[in-house]
Amino acid sequence: MKFDLHIHSCLSPCAALEMSPAEIVRRACAAGMGGIALTDHQSARNTPAIAECARRAGLACLYGLEVCTAEEVHTLALFDTTEQALAMTEWVYAAMPKRVNDPETFGDQPVVTWDDDIVELEWRILAMGCRRTIPEVAAKCHELGGLYLAAHIDRTAFSVTSQLGGIPADVPFDAVELSRTADEAVWRPRAAGYAVTRSSDAHNLDDVARVWTEADLDAFTVAALKDAFRRQATTLSPKLTKF
Amino acid sequence: MTAAEIAEKVGGTVAVAADGAQATSVYVGDLLSDVMGHAGEDCVLVTIQNHLNTIAVCTLVGCTVLVICHSRPIPPDMAEGAAREGVAVVVTPLSQYAVALALKELPPSTH
Repeated sequence: MKFDLHIHSCLSPCAALEMSPAEIVRRACAAGMGGIALTDHQSARNTPAIAECARRAGLACLYGLEVCTAEEVHTLALFDTTEQALAMTEWVYAAMPKRVNDPETFGDQPVVTWDDDIVELEWRILAMGCRRTIPEVAAKCHELGGLYLAAHIDRTAFSVTSQLGGIPADVPFDAVELSRTADEAVWRPRAAGYAVTRSSDAHNLDDVARVWTEADLDAFTVAALKDAFRRQATTLSPKLTKF
Repeated sequence: MTAAEIAEKVGGTVAVAADGAQATSVYVGDLLSDVMGHAGEDCVLVTIQNHLNTIAVCTLVGCTVLVICHSRPIPPDMAEGAAREGVAVVVTPLSQYAVALALKELPPSTH
């Protein structure tokens, strides 16, 4: 099964407004994905919408968020249910700055319905980090039954590499993610001991499922992925030459 | 101090110019949440964070001159954001500390 575990919707301030849950699901199905995960910055508030779209399309979906930690490292927390993802969101929100987002500065953050109506604009600045550290976020994610991944470890900003100099040995990451342009031959050895994934980190529709991870899964669930990750049994799509 | 004067002092180049961009104090920081919490208005921000979010943080704190250290490249979306928001971007081969020394006639930024 092929899957893309890192996709942003219009809720992310840096993502295109065209990233409606319905369109994301359409693109993922067209690209032959067996499963996807929605991972907006600091928030899972569009996961109920994509859950409905995925259900209608018969596409398996995980529900998550890309948590920017106190170290300003991007990490993925992925769950089987929207309830778990929203509980994680509330916990992250409690440690977010109280400043109100200015859409002119950072971008719009619409919470939408499955059929593209705007419910409200999220007021928090989802582009900013929260006060929770990586070990704290890992513990909370696992307590809620989720998968915890270090995002785009090869990137020169917002990664374990850029912020901490490497993958912290004391954090129980279930897997580490390579970006769409990372050279697997270079980064596999640096991620020795960890399962490796590659996902699109799509911020616009053309990037959905442009790269992917493949594994032999009975079902697209946290438990099945955790098992595949434990066996480090993932293969990656080829890298792209341009981000 | 204008962006052009700052560029000269730090041996750098103005990658993005902005009308009237100038600084009366200095803040050095690579953690944007720290910058957001502590940098004051009209400071020059000295950092290695060469991405668009840095421009947004400059806008939030009222900083109109940004110095990017170690000759890190300015991505196109960052340059566009800076031009749009009126933030001048200077790129220098120097480290953060070396830039701070070069700008020592300006006081530390206070929040």
